[in-house]
Amino acid sequence: MTSMTMHQNASNHSMKGLLWLLLCLVALLSLLPSLRLLFSALVDWRQGADSSLWRVLNNRATWVALYHSVYTSGLGTLISLLLGSLFAFCLALTNIRMKQIWVFLFMLPMMIPPQVTALSWLQLFGSNSILLNSIGLAPEFGRVNPLYSPEGIALLLGIQHAPLVFLALRTQLQCLPKEHIEAARLNGASLWQVFSHIVLPLCRTALWGGATIAFVSALGNFGIPAMLGIPISYYVLPIYIYQALSSFGPSMINEVAALSVLMGILAIAIVTLQARMQRRYALPLIGMAGRSLGFTLGKWRLGIEVMMGLVLFAILVAPLLALIATSLVPTMGVPLNSDTITFAAWRGVFDVQSSTWRALTNSMVLSVSAAMVLLILSLPLAWLLVRYSSRPLRWLHSMIDIPYTLPGVVLAIACILLFSRPLPILEISLSGTLTIIFIAYLARFLTVCLKPVHSSMMQLDPAMEEAASLAGANFSQRLIDIVLPLLAPAAFAGALLVFLTAVNELTVSALLWSAGKETLGVVIFSLDESGNKVLASAISVFVVALVAMVMLLLSALSKYLPKGVIPWQS
Amino acid sequence: MSKKNALAALLLTIMSASAAAKSTLNLYTSQLNDDAQMTVNAFEKAHPDIDVKWIRDGTTKLTARLQAELAAGAATPDVLLLADSVTMESLKNQNLLTPYKSPQTARFDSALYDKDGYYSGTKLITTGIAYHSKAPVKPESWNDLLKPEVKNMTTLPSPLYSGAAQIHQAALMNDPQLGWAYYEKLKENGAMPQSGNGAVMTAIASGSKAYGVLVDYMAIREKAKGAPIEFVFPKEGVSVVTEPVAIMSNSKNPEAAKAFVDFVLSPAGQQLVLEQGFLPADASLPVPQGFPPRDSIKLMPLDAAKALADTEANKKRFSDLFGDR
Repeated sequence: MTSMTMHQNASNHSMKGLLWLLLCLVALLSLLPSLRLLFSALVDWRQGADSSLWRVLNNRATWVALYHSVYTSGLGTLISLLLGSLFAFCLALTNIRMKQIWVFLFMLPMMIPPQVTALSWLQLFGSNSILLNSIGLAPEFGRVNPLYSPEGIALLLGIQHAPLVFLALRTQLQCLPKEHIEAARLNGASLWQVFSHIVLPLCRTALWGGATIAFVSALGNFGIPAMLGIPISYYVLPIYIYQALSSFGPSMINEVAALSVLMGILAIAIVTLQARMQRRYALPLIGMAGRSLGFTLGKWRLGIEVMMGLVLFAILVAPLLALIATSLVPTMGVPLNSDTITFAAWRGVFDVQSSTWRALTNSMVLSVSAAMVLLILSLPLAWLLVRYSSRPLRWLHSMIDIPYTLPGVVLAIACILLFSRPLPILEISLSGTLTIIFIAYLARFLTVCLKPVHSSMMQLDPAMEEAASLAGANFSQRLIDIVLPLLAPAAFAGALLVFLTAVNELTVSALLWSAGKETLGVVIFSLDESGNKVLASAISVFVVALVAMVMLLLSALSKYLPKGVIPWQS
Repeated sequence: MSKKNALAALLLTIMSASAAAKSTLNLYTSQLNDDAQMTVNAFEKAHPDIDVKWIRDGTTKLTARLQAELAAGAATPDVLLLADSVTMESLKNQNLLTPYKSPQTARFDSALYDKDGYYSGTKLITTGIAYHSKAPVKPESWNDLLKPEVKNMTTLPSPLYSGAAQIHQAALMNDPQLGWAYYEKLKENGAMPQSGNGAVMTAIASGSKAYGVLVDYMAIREKAKGAPIEFVFPKEGVSVVTEPVAIMSNSKNPEAAKAFVDFVLSPAGQQLVLEQGFLPADASLPVPQGFPPRDSIKLMPLDAAKALADTEANKKRFSDLFGDR
């Protein structure tokens, strides 16, 4: 008997040791790049008024860019919240038809490069619009498109990041206690009362989680403000950083780092706010409900379906069609018809000699392995963060967001500064290997995976673990048999998000790749920059199709996976 | 534990060391991907004992990468083949380049290479006017972009992000007929900046803008493929970036680096430039398809050292002018 307890204690200790080890690893991963940048920003502080940080802080343009960033990201987050929660609530709570297909489709817009969405909208409403030309309404050259505005930027940011809110919310909605809702309905509560008194309060942590990730994503986005903001000289922080980057001389690094410190502070502020709100509103639940809800919408159903269809058309179908059309013409600007159609670009994609396949393999290996590793990391991490909540841990938690908020180029610079020299002791140089990109991905996307897991963990009633403990379950049993299954849906959703964002990722790998180690994003961007929009579009379409196939494959495997881990299957 | 094993396995597979029997030459280039591959292949064929490891990116990103690697004290490349002489001038001022007077430069116009041999231009990428084939006015002069009938129809690459645009601004401001006043009039006529030449190209080809300040090869290449775009070399002249080649001062393989410089400047290397669709720096070679005869293209002069010294002031002027909303 005593030997058994001893043994249990030993296993508890080694398990806990492992957890703390993991915590150190995570701290290293996400703190190192941020601290390296902070060091670069402060390294020339002796120069007083000439130091980078002082110059940056003293420049009015910095504060204007900061304000612009907060405005567009804030407004964009509201739009993401609106769209994401509309879809999540409609799909989780009502009797909309073909739910699985809706969910599946709503994940895909994340895969479409934001510049493409921006361009397809500009074309849709521009003077060359096939649609408007055919009805004779195309505007003349010289009319300024309304998308070129802060609100236009916010709109596209909002659309781009709506799936993040959607997924964060959906995993939460799947855990709603159906008994409470049914009891309320039996007692005569109206649909609206159920929604505002039961559903909404229970979703607050998820809403805050989703809003934060949408906000930090918008804050770090470069593509959309570059396309819509530069023409009207509306600068947000990532663009301002890019401006600093294109100036000459070694002080450039310090200046870029100083600007990044500002972004980091902003990110920490947002995440601290989120943590405070989540702690205030956390309402512990006991896990997954048996079956999904289905409020009857009656005559409203068709209306809501049509509206969702329209939104999906604007954010997925239209840009995708534009991409497909561009991939089938000889060059951009040529109208697509039976004379001009060509499959030359598609032959280029499937040419085994081309760099596309190599890039595809690299991106797949990187994004899948990053998603898996982060999935494994974030489960115990979330548990530690919630159950052992302390001030240092909360600080660590808010620092995790920084690598994700920074423009990818800056994170890449931090990684070069950290890892381009041979590692001490090991004497291995990571420079020019996939490993350095892999490490950068882990640092960058940890928060993407952790956010949904963490908000699920906040909602997990500790009573269950206590009950198991009383019944004699040891530490690892409790973790594996109780916590893991309940967090699995959120963790898989998070890992899926990591995969979706990483597979197309451009800005981090842009500075870290080398010949033979290119990623899909790099290939697409490279082609785009050389003016080969057609092949770039073909590859983009190919990637979307491939990801859709991967997702279908996951559905086929769903019966071997825990319930609820595939977001589009309830 | 299995997670750790998986990580170790991943690290191992990723870090498969390459066999390095030959001498290696590290190259950073801003050439387009296919062109870079073509240049490297041709060079390796001519010098089978040298193995070229190359990285391609936009000039801005490459310089950022270089600065970060220098700050980290890490290995840096042997040879640079970057878009413009102003970037090279700044690297020269930081003592990062080593001079090498290639015997090949004798065939070139002396304006195309640094007189001390720090860098030598390999091609001429000029900036002129591109326009959509449905555009209302066929421009011939830079001043045609100021006409009231083309109001709000013009776009240009911003010198805040594009090196070619910085040089264009420096060259234009040097011209007494155009000068800074030209930019003010452009702004008055509703011109909109873009992040770079690629964005200008997209704006014109997709029809969202009718006119654009653009580098020659992009428009001429796309026109050959059927895009609704035309290109003119305005009569006042065009600005030029020369894609210079230079050797880093801490190169570990200076002999191979010199061989590379000689190669890109040699008749064979210049022929390659022509095949890639660029105007070769070697004036004895013909022009690529789609270009007008060489003597009809007037080049605006550029003082790279002065352009570098003025860069920050020029950028500020530009950002103040176009950023006043």
